[in-house]
Amino acid sequence: MSARTSRRPARTAAMCALLVAATAGLSACGGLTPGGTGTSAAPTGPVSTALPTGNATLTVVSSENSGTTKALAEAFHAKHPNITVDFQYTGEDDYNKSLNLKLSSDQAPDLALLNKLGTTVKANLVRSLDDYAEAYGWDAKYPSTELDQWRATDDGKQLGTGHLWAAPAGFSVVGVYYNKDTAAKLGITPPTTRAEFDAALAKAKAAGELPVQLGNLQGHSSFIVQSVVDATDGAAKTSDWVNGKPGATIKTPGGTDGATTLAGWAKRGYLPESANGTDLTGSVAEFTKGKGLFLFDGSWDAQKIDKAAPGKTGFLTFPGADGKATGIGTSVAYAIPAKAKNPDLAAAFLDFMNTPEAAQIQFDTGFLPVAHADTVKGAEGGVMNEVAKGWAAVNKDNGLVNFFANTDATMGDTLTSQSQQLIGGKIGPEQYLDALQNDWTKGHQ
Amino acid sequence: MTSTSFPPQPGTAHRATPPPAAHDGRSGRAGADGTARTLRVGPRRPGRQRTAYLYLAPALLLYTCFVALPWLHTMWLSLFTWDGVTAGSWAGLGNYHQVLTDPLLRSSILHALGFVVFYSVLPIALGLLLAAVIGGRGGRRYPVSRTVLFLPQIVPLVAVGVTWKWMYSADGMVNQVLRAVGLGSITRAWLGDFTWAYVAVGLIGTWVMLGLCLIIFQTGIQKIDPSLYEAARLDGAGPVREFLAVTLPGLRPEIGVAATLTMISALASFDVVYVTTGGGPGDSTIVPGVLIYRLAFTNGEVGAACALAVVLSALIALAVAAVGRLTREKS
Repeated sequence: MSARTSRRPARTAAMCALLVAATAGLSACGGLTPGGTGTSAAPTGPVSTALPTGNATLTVVSSENSGTTKALAEAFHAKHPNITVDFQYTGEDDYNKSLNLKLSSDQAPDLALLNKLGTTVKANLVRSLDDYAEAYGWDAKYPSTELDQWRATDDGKQLGTGHLWAAPAGFSVVGVYYNKDTAAKLGITPPTTRAEFDAALAKAKAAGELPVQLGNLQGHSSFIVQSVVDATDGAAKTSDWVNGKPGATIKTPGGTDGATTLAGWAKRGYLPESANGTDLTGSVAEFTKGKGLFLFDGSWDAQKIDKAAPGKTGFLTFPGADGKATGIGTSVAYAIPAKAKNPDLAAAFLDFMNTPEAAQIQFDTGFLPVAHADTVKGAEGGVMNEVAKGWAAVNKDNGLVNFFANTDATMGDTLTSQSQQLIGGKIGPEQYLDALQNDWTKGHQ
Repeated sequence: MTSTSFPPQPGTAHRATPPPAAHDGRSGRAGADGTARTLRVGPRRPGRQRTAYLYLAPALLLYTCFVALPWLHTMWLSLFTWDGVTAGSWAGLGNYHQVLTDPLLRSSILHALGFVVFYSVLPIALGLLLAAVIGGRGGRRYPVSRTVLFLPQIVPLVAVGVTWKWMYSADGMVNQVLRAVGLGSITRAWLGDFTWAYVAVGLIGTWVMLGLCLIIFQTGIQKIDPSLYEAARLDGAGPVREFLAVTLPGLRPEIGVAATLTMISALASFDVVYVTTGGGPGDSTIVPGVLIYRLAFTNGEVGAACALAVVLSALIALAVAAVGRLTREKS
């Protein structure tokens, strides 16, 4: 026993030595301050809209796997046979975690999909596209709400203002799907005003039908709240809040309307009992089985819904107070890394996104086109055509608003936990809005 | 300071001599114990000790690179405000202050402690019972049920979560069974219910851990001297008496192992909660593991995430030390 205890100090000393050595080792490789390796300066110099005449390769990294980018790349290659597009796909989780490392390495790609601006912009890893937007005239070609989603101040905190960091390659939009059979049975025509919408809900409830299908396990009731807010306050005002404009607040007439509406629907039994325990996929499945007159969901589920219940579903934009169409949505967007070797070529590929040819490709692979929404055509009688019509209306009215969940890093989690409590009757609309605003304030300091 | 082995080594944990080295199949040789002894009091024979470290080097190197250094790195990062990308700034103990005063964190730790009931207490109690029935009296009966009960252990926890999410859904298996037996009135979407979601998630843990406990206990029972059972039976003990007098004391070290493993799973639980509820509804099933993930990968607060991870590992070390102390064999 004595041998054992006498050895303790020696062992402790050895441990301490190891600790010191380890710490020293850490400081030797790359400095002790995490992330303190220095950032590169933003590239400057003239830009060109001319394409290379010789053979060239455009490398693209992405987490988009609907085949859209790949199909666009093939079409681009067909148009310019001397240019090969090297498309590299990574699953979204891994992609987001490794993106910044990839962009800061010497093998940086020419184009990179951005799911969020935030730290990527702050660390100067992508270049401002302002020069290219001017050279190609993007400002005139795109609705301002489309491009504004990819503008941000240099610290990446406030969106919708500052330099343009990425350009869209295909959109998703959230609206209201409705069951045509149920609507016809109840004598309901697609509502065009809020009053008509509310009347339809009451009528469905009275007839024993579920008015609104919802899966809120992952917080998708935010689609309902935001649709009401967008429609009541208008796209411009709501965008200010989502974009983090200083002084903006969610405690507006629209915000109150949105929160009260969700709580009211839950109380009146307009929502399924199991909403908090069902996820989005589950709610879509229920909806296609005929349970629910309305479903607030995105265009990404249109093809799935059509397949499960062919020809039985319609789509409308949530009716606004002033008759203007609004929609929640954002795009797949590509940025040019600061270390890209072929920035001019990358910009030419981005410009290709707003051609009619690209529009049809984007539409065929499940996205809404960046431009020329009125020219695209889907399968006859498919709900995707109605979605495209809604999308065209949203663009005409400049009514696109980014997702609430994208306003800051933590908003998605806050929306989920708070809306579950709101629907469960644990908190009231006032507390719900307070929690959202607190999160917003913390996230935009 | 007395030693608290990590993890506790049943049977050898508190014996002063002989040291574990003496068990290496050499105990029959006269000099074996002596050699081991010389090694233990190494400082008197420096040459020998250096050779010993040479043998240890490969494992020590791996352990240092992949366990010790990352752990130290985590502790280091916990002292910074860092978003994971841009340069961090020194925060001192600020992150610890943040995680210890956050009400969400406090409730998450309470939830994790509550999971000990579902991950440790229930599986150990049920495991003991089943082991006594299946493998009592040194037998190897019911191999099929043993295998079935162990199955959850070999399924990845993410798959377990996805499966149970379906089973707990509004039209899932759990509700179908309830309706079939006439309990349709209590059906609900279990994971969305503020009262029942926590229990529902906890029971998944029980389901997963039961097989592990059962296997450990059954192995332990086979090591118990059959003559003890014989003696108990000659003394007229029934199955219950036999279980309490022979099996239970004989399984003391195994219970320690099972408690250690299951408590680590309970306190460090992440996969199942993340997949099934993500911490909801509201924050009623949030656990530190999910919060660490959120802080690091969603919120970009790597420093705070590391601080919470350090606090969590300290908590686990404490719990494991307590288990080690409670289940230590009296010499």
